[in-house]
Order: sequence, then structure tokens, then C-alpha cells
Amino acid sequence: MVEGVGSEEAQRADGAARQRGGEPAVVIGGGPAGLTAAYELARRGLPAVVYEKDDIVGGISRTVERDGYRFDIGGHRFFTKITEVEALWHELLGDDLIERPRLSRIFYRGKFFDYPLRPVDALLKLGPVEAVRIVLSYLYVRLTPRGEERSFEQWVVNRFGRRLFEVFFESYTEKVWGIPCSEISSDWAAQRIKNLDLMAAIRNALLGSGGGRGGKEKGEIVTTLIDRFQYPRLGPGMMWERCAERCAELGAPTHLRREVVRLRHDGGRVNEVDVRRHDGVDGGEGDGGGEVETIACSSVVSTMPVPGLLRALDPPPPDEVLAAAAKLRFRDFLTVVVVVDREHLFPDNWIYIHAPEVRVGRIQNFKNWSPEMVPDASRTSLGLEYFVQEGDELWSAGDDELGALAARELAWLGLAEEDDVVGHYVVRMPKAYPVYDRDYEQALAVARRHLEGIGNLHPIGRNGQHRYNNQDHSMLTGMLAARNILREAESASGSSATGGAAGPAHDLWAATEDDSYLEAPERGSRSLADRAVPRRLEEDDLAAGDERLEQAIAAAFARYDPVALGGAVGVIAGALVFLLTAVLLLRGDEPLGPNLSLLGHYLIGFQVSWPGALIGALEAALLGFGFGWLLARTINLLVDLAAESVVRECELEGLLDPFDLSRLED
Amino acid sequence: MTRQREEIILRRAVARLRAAVMAVTFGATGGAALFLATAWLLLRGGENVGQHLGLLRNYLPGYSVTWGGAVLGLAYGVVLGGIAGASLAWTYNRIADLRGAATTRG
Repeated sequence: MVEGVGSEEAQRADGAARQRGGEPAVVIGGGPAGLTAAYELARRGLPAVVYEKDDIVGGISRTVERDGYRFDIGGHRFFTKITEVEALWHELLGDDLIERPRLSRIFYRGKFFDYPLRPVDALLKLGPVEAVRIVLSYLYVRLTPRGEERSFEQWVVNRFGRRLFEVFFESYTEKVWGIPCSEISSDWAAQRIKNLDLMAAIRNALLGSGGGRGGKEKGEIVTTLIDRFQYPRLGPGMMWERCAERCAELGAPTHLRREVVRLRHDGGRVNEVDVRRHDGVDGGEGDGGGEVETIACSSVVSTMPVPGLLRALDPPPPDEVLAAAAKLRFRDFLTVVVVVDREHLFPDNWIYIHAPEVRVGRIQNFKNWSPEMVPDASRTSLGLEYFVQEGDELWSAGDDELGALAARELAWLGLAEEDDVVGHYVVRMPKAYPVYDRDYEQALAVARRHLEGIGNLHPIGRNGQHRYNNQDHSMLTGMLAARNILREAESASGSSATGGAAGPAHDLWAATEDDSYLEAPERGSRSLADRAVPRRLEEDDLAAGDERLEQAIAAAFARYDPVALGGAVGVIAGALVFLLTAVLLLRGDEPLGPNLSLLGHYLIGFQVSWPGALIGALEAALLGFGFGWLLARTINLLVDLAAESVVRECELEGLLDPFDLSRLED
Repeated sequence: MTRQREEIILRRAVARLRAAVMAVTFGATGGAALFLATAWLLLRGGENVGQHLGLLRNYLPGYSVTWGGAVLGLAYGVVLGGIAGASLAWTYNRIADLRGAATTRG
């Protein structure tokens, strides 16, 4: 029997899918990207089948359950600017998508710092000496900027000063990536803040969360991002379990413990895939001896890591392509969940652990994500997250050893007593994060070129594209891949069997490179399928209002032209002195302007006479020019400082949280 | 809009002065200043009240350091301040436009 989500239902759906005509689209991987693609295909009536190597759906967005304790692989706030994704979340979960308050802080030197960082809070908690060191080091780099920015360290130091780098970046970043900051490419930092929306940042700084397009609506979004977030009642895996069930109902089954090991292609198309069953006890990679089944397919949607996908191609790619793919690296992840016999430990959803004395990088308090994540309200489950490399000392350590380490580190951090830890579970997640090292971009370009030569192969998702996507962005690539397949099906059949929903072809790689592609409802863009849907008047109005607001922001941060202001003040001052003198001369009173002539103390050569009027006017014009010029320069300097502080604050926020999976953006 | 484009927009934006706003601002400030300066001297009292401020009558016909003069001074301040503000804005904008056009041609 085929084991899948919904089991017998999946088997029936499998048959139904094949009966509906043609070979199915094979979706490799049951994570957010793969399941979204399958769902999109299924609800348009195209046959699809999902093969998931693991024994659970959701990929890194899964929710693992052990003894009633539910936990995430990392935390997953649900927040998106993509309306289609938001709509799908609500369609799948309805009232099970709950809204939760957010609190996250940074632990460093025994203190908790607000996150996002607030300068006053940070400087107060660091103390006056450290605060002065940070400010001085910041001023130093601002006054003596370095040109070279090859490494992440140089990049951050150039912007925030060495001391702030040492305090808030160095230890955490090295924990996360496992290499010194001096060896991390500066591209990674630039990538993290590439999509920083200057206008939005300034708008929020100027107008608060209520400003901007749609006023209240925008305010709600910002509030959501900072203070509240959406979250499935039983964890993010609930979303993907529900999605897999819906897919099965629609005839797109998900088969668990099925690994696609070979993709046979010919003439630029994949025609068949070999699927290995992992029905052994562990069902994981070690269980490699299962039966292999060959499945004919119309197209393939792949979320498997790029190097694995290339290795699975038959015939294989040229050696240089495989060599390039081998350069693509991943960071792995393990979480040690400890059950603590305490009802309440701390109010945060998660805490970043910057302290270099411990190896844990982040701690999740799952109960604070949703109360239903724990079976017993009198206990608390904490997820201690370690960023590792597959096969390293921590990865290879036994579960009990890791449990003991987690308990010790919790006690050291002062978050719980070691004796209160009553249980532990360990989950290892290989290839959790694509690494952006100095080689990745070139290597990925080579791999991509090769994959683009296979027309019906659609790589999507975080590992499928080796892109550091958030969950919603991965889902978007799934939606777009499905629409490309629908489009192909429509053109092959010469009809609009799917209701013409496919729209034009989508460049899946561009979808994650170009942020405007991701944020479909943005001004001037269309919906995902580029359908010519009439827009409501109020949307136009809002967009126009937003544009006007951005123009107003640009005007508010505009620089004064020093020459123009100097010239204007000079002209007015010169004219004024001339007119005042001329009036007295024309009146001809005696004595002639005894008081006005006192201006001669300041305007050398000035007298109440016609030549004096000209000299005075000229000197007043020069002084006026100097005053106006200086005024404009001073205002511009202050405007620059204000704008820069907003930008730096946003950059800081974008950089401090490299593994927050559903943040904006950033 | 890309960040690069946003930066260009922000960096290139040159502030303009609104003549009406400048006229109202300078007018209100000028009128209030002259009224308050006159009123302050009147309230302080003493001999030869406002002998120096009174010299403004050379430029502002009818002005004197009296309560009536204060009201007239208010009106003069509003009108002349308004003219000065509007002139300042107009001159600034013209020079900025000329320089902008020169930069574009260059």
C-alpha cells in the first residue's frame, strides 16, 4: 500500500490523478513550495503527485510532535505582503490561524536587550562606558570611512563602528554561520538589506505606524510585524498537513518516505522519475535500500537541493556543472527541545543568545507561540537551537548528551534550573539554510543555466533555488511554477481547459531575485497570474495617495540649495539696506540718518549717502549670501543625519536576524 | 521602486520654498514682532517711551510708539513681512531652477 497523507485517500487520489488524463506532474518535496505547487495544480484540475523523502510534510516549516509536545524547526511567524499567499493561509486554516503577541530579545552579558534594537534601551543596558565606546567608534568610522568592504566584518564596521559590531554582530553571526565574520562575504549583508524600503522606513519614522497608504491598513501591517503575528494553532506544520490533505482530496496525493533518486530526461524534457521507497524503521537517508519505482511524468517541480537535483539527472550534466554544484554549501541545524517543570519561564517567543560562552544560538519558547504547543500547561517546552554542520561534533553527539548540554546552558543563562529539566527531544535538520559564501553566486549561475535547458523541470523553494527565501516567497515560487505548468498544458491542448488561469510564463528565478515580483499587490504591478483584473477605485486612490506621500517624503528630506538660499537672502538683505537708505535720502531730513548710519560699524564704508547705499547694499548682499549658504548647509546636514539614522536603524534590524524565516524585509 | 532609485530620488531632491507659506510666515512673524516690541515699551512706560523704535516712522508713515501705532505696526509688519517672505521664496526658487537647468544641460 502506498503510504501517504490520508493513506487510502491518497491511494484513491493517485489513481484518480492518473485517470484524469495524461501523466502527472511530479512534485519533489512536501514543504511549503512543493505543496503549494501541488495544491495550485490540483485545484485547476491537473494531475499531480508529491514525493516527500521524510516521514512528515512541511519541510523546515514542519511541526514535530513528541509525547504531545509540538515544536517548530526554528520559529515561523506568518507574515506576508503577498496577498495570494495570505489568502491561501486563511483558506487552508481559517480560524486555526490565530494572532499572537510577539516578544523577542537579545541575551548578552547577562542582560536582555529589546529586539528590534532600541538605541536608548541598548545604551542604558550596556552602561555609560560601553555606550561612549560605541558612540565614539561609530563617529570614528563615519569620519574615516574605509573603502574596502569585501567581508561582512568590514561591511558592518564601516556602517556601525567596530564596537557595535563586536557587541551585537560578531559572536552571533559566527555561531550562525560557523565561520569568522572576516571570511563571510559582504554580499550576504548587502543581500539582507537589499530590499530595505527607504521610503517605508522614512514614512514610518516620520508618521508612525499609522502613516502611509491606507492609513489604518498600513498601520495594522506594521503593528503586526512588530507586536503581533499570525500562527497556526498547532504550529506551522498544521498548515502543511492541512494542505496535503486538501491536495489529496483534490486528487494530488502526497507520498511520504519516497525519495526521487533519478530524473530521466531526453530532448530537454524529463519523462520519468525513479522513486525509492524508504519504508524501513528510520525512513531516513540511511535507509537507502528500498524498492525503486519508475514514474512517468508530464513535468517535474523540484524543491530538492540544487546539487542533489543535478546529481540525479540522467543523463548526468557535464563535469563542470557538477563541480559548480558541489560548491553550493548548506548550513545545518539541530534543535534540542527540553521540557521544563515550570509553568512560566520567560515571556518571549524567542531569545537570541549572543553570549559567546554558550553554543546555543536561539531559544524558542513554544508555549508562547501557541498555548496548544504543550500538552500540560504546568510545564514549558523550550527549543534550544544550534547551528551546525552535518557530521560535526554537535551533529554527531547523542541525544542524551545534547539534552544535558542544553540543560547546562539553560542554567548558565539563568533561564531555568538544570534540575527542572524533565525531558528532552532532538531534531536534526540537514541543509536547513543555503550558504551565501564567496563562491555560491557563480556556482549557482552555472547550475541554473543547465537546469534551464530542461523545459519541464521547475526548481522552486529555498533549496530548490538555493535562495534564502522566507516561507511566503517559497510558496510564491510554487504558485508560479504551477501556473507555468498550467500554461504549458493549455498550449499543448490548444484550449483553455484550466479556465485561462495560467497567464503569461513566469521566470521562477526572477521571482525571488526581484522583490517587486514578490510583492504582487504593489503599485503598478498586477496580480500573480498577470490577469487583467479591474482594480477597484479605492485601490487606485490608495496607490496614488501613496505616491503623493512618497513625493512629500522626498520633499521633506530634500536638500536646500545653498547657493540659491544664499542668493535669495543676499538679494533681500542688499535690497533692504538700499531701500532703507534711499528712503532717508529722498526725505532729506536733517541730520541725515544718524541712527541708520550706525550700520557703518558692521558694513565697512557704509554712510547714508547714495554711494554708501550701494556699498551697504553690496556688503549686506554678501553677508546675506554667507548667512543663507550656511543656513542651507546646516539644515542639509541635519536632514542627512535624520535620514541616515532611519536607514541605519533599518539595516541594523535587517542584519541582526539572519534566520528569522518570515520577516519582511526586508 | 528599487532602493537605488529611492536613494537617487532622495539625494537629488532639491527643496523648494512655497511663496505663500513664506509670505504668511514672515508676515505673521514681522507683524507680531513689531506689535510686541511696541507693546513692551508701552507697558514698561517711563520718559521718552520708544524714542528709537519711533524712528520707524521714517519708513512706516503714521507709525508711533502708542497703542494705535502698535496696531498700525502690526499691519505694516504683516504686509512688509509678507512681501519679504514671498520675495525670498521667489528668488530662491528662481535661482534653484536656473541651477537645476544648468546641471541638467551639463
